[in-house]
Amino acid sequence: MTPRGARIGRSLLLLAASLLFLGYVLAPVAWLVSSSFQSESEITSKPPHWIPHQPTLKNFEAIFGAGERDVTYETRRKADPSSGGFIPSTAKNLLPSMWNSFIVAISVVVLNLLVSVPAAYAMAKIRFIGRQTSIYAMLVTRVIPDIALVVPFFLFIRKLGLLDHVGSLIVTYLAITVPFSVFILVSYFESLPDELDKAARVDGCSRLQALLRVFLPLALPSLVAMILFAFLTSWNEFLLALMFTQTPASQTMPIVVASFTSDFTISFSFINAAGVLAVVPPVILAIVFERYIVSGLTAGAVKG
Amino acid sequence: MGGAWRQHVSDYDQKSAMLFLAPMLAVLSVVAVFPVVYSFWISLFDLRLTRPRSVPFVWFDNYAHVFADPLFWTSVARTATFTVMAVSAIMVIATLMALLLNEEFRGRRILSAVLLVPWAIPYVADGLMWKWIYDSGYGALNGLLYQLDFIDKYMVWLGDTRKTLPLIANAFVWKEVPLATILLLVTMKSIPADLYGAAKVDGANVWQRFLHVTLPALRPGFMLVMIYETMMAIRHFDLFFILTEGGPANASHVLAWDVYVETFRKLSFGTGAALAYLIALITFLLAFSIIRTMGKKL
Repeated sequence: MTPRGARIGRSLLLLAASLLFLGYVLAPVAWLVSSSFQSESEITSKPPHWIPHQPTLKNFEAIFGAGERDVTYETRRKADPSSGGFIPSTAKNLLPSMWNSFIVAISVVVLNLLVSVPAAYAMAKIRFIGRQTSIYAMLVTRVIPDIALVVPFFLFIRKLGLLDHVGSLIVTYLAITVPFSVFILVSYFESLPDELDKAARVDGCSRLQALLRVFLPLALPSLVAMILFAFLTSWNEFLLALMFTQTPASQTMPIVVASFTSDFTISFSFINAAGVLAVVPPVILAIVFERYIVSGLTAGAVKG
Repeated sequence: MGGAWRQHVSDYDQKSAMLFLAPMLAVLSVVAVFPVVYSFWISLFDLRLTRPRSVPFVWFDNYAHVFADPLFWTSVARTATFTVMAVSAIMVIATLMALLLNEEFRGRRILSAVLLVPWAIPYVADGLMWKWIYDSGYGALNGLLYQLDFIDKYMVWLGDTRKTLPLIANAFVWKEVPLATILLLVTMKSIPADLYGAAKVDGANVWQRFLHVTLPALRPGFMLVMIYETMMAIRHFDLFFILTEGGPANASHVLAWDVYVETFRKLSFGTGAALAYLIALITFLLAFSIIRTMGKKL
């Protein structure tokens, strides 16, 4: 083959592969978004309308207006499904649950910073007895499955009287996020030169001052990665929230969205709109902070 | 290296290190030490929330009970099937995607940004999205296959016991592939370019270079992804809850689902704890192999 022919062949191959890639990754999400803009009558057409013929915002209106409406069996029966009025009785819990998710995620992020930053600095930059052991101990905790935490945590939280309180989620999410946060930060701190630490100490900085004034500003990329992971883990977590929350007072977004799927008459148009709302915040974070996330995810992998 | 340090550790350093570590150690004892010890303790009692006043100590009866339950062995088989299907699919798809992203071409940056979408979304959203796609009445899968003339009438998907596990595995794979791809891509980028140059000089074609240079060099990445994804698949719960609740006819009754049923449907916390302890043990054995493989590399 001529070099030019080979180049064109390569381009075509890459194009085909890229299209396959995009199709695999995006098609399911695109279909979710497309169906969230369709009315119940359009969504039930056979074959499906891949692009809405009469796009509607009714499903989203139903979510944002759900607070003022009382949903009973009778009102649902009377409601015309095609108007998007066929909403589950738990619909009005969705917005408060997103607020709960937000509160939990932010609290977990803040506590993570307070706990993980000093620990990671100590492990990476201070020579002390028990350093190797603490690094191993931390790695081991990463492999305990959440499902094994459920029973002991449940009994513990019941004893504390925190069942059905967002506090129970903040405590348990802190427990599952801290090991990974420390892991990301340790690998980053280790990549910063030891001389910085020595220089700061010679200048009369205490350990805490060296951490706050010298290392924290330099470690910003890993802090961003850590914050994102703690936030996304808390925002997305399902299993523990399912066990520890019972009423809208503490239910988080995943729990309320899951409750829609088991409602007795499923209105797919409504559920899809709820799904879109659940997906938007994490996807925006992921795309905007892509660089930080990838470097965070690979922090441990490169070193092995 | 720890030994050489010991003489140089100053009192001040030791004290400040302990102070810096204290909050993390407190949290770790809550996440690791407490649940592991406490759930083992619970697993020795016949603790039922339906009968809170009498909690007899039963030694290992809960474990005997678990092993005698045919549904437990069903769930072991289902979990194994799910894990093998999911992990092998993740390995193949992630390798192909990483090979693509390892090339230099216009638009590569867009692909790698888009790749994070499945990784970022909650499992609940992943579950409801695929539930809607698989829907037997109006789902996209039926619609697509029908329009392409692969089927002549709409079919039952999740409700068909032979298809349930592969379909759930597909929803799991779609969400796990991005992380696996990223990890494999880092390993690929660390392969020295001279290796390819040398292979080219030796007259190796693209396929031979992939087979004899890329694949062997990817081994550490493969190991990492395989072990990590196996651990994730064995313990997975969310999709089984959203998509099928263990059904139809126990076709998707996996170990994690079994723990949930024992604990929160039958309210038998003793057996639930015993089951969870078994899952944790399996995972620990895998973790041991992780540390061993990593220990060799360090």
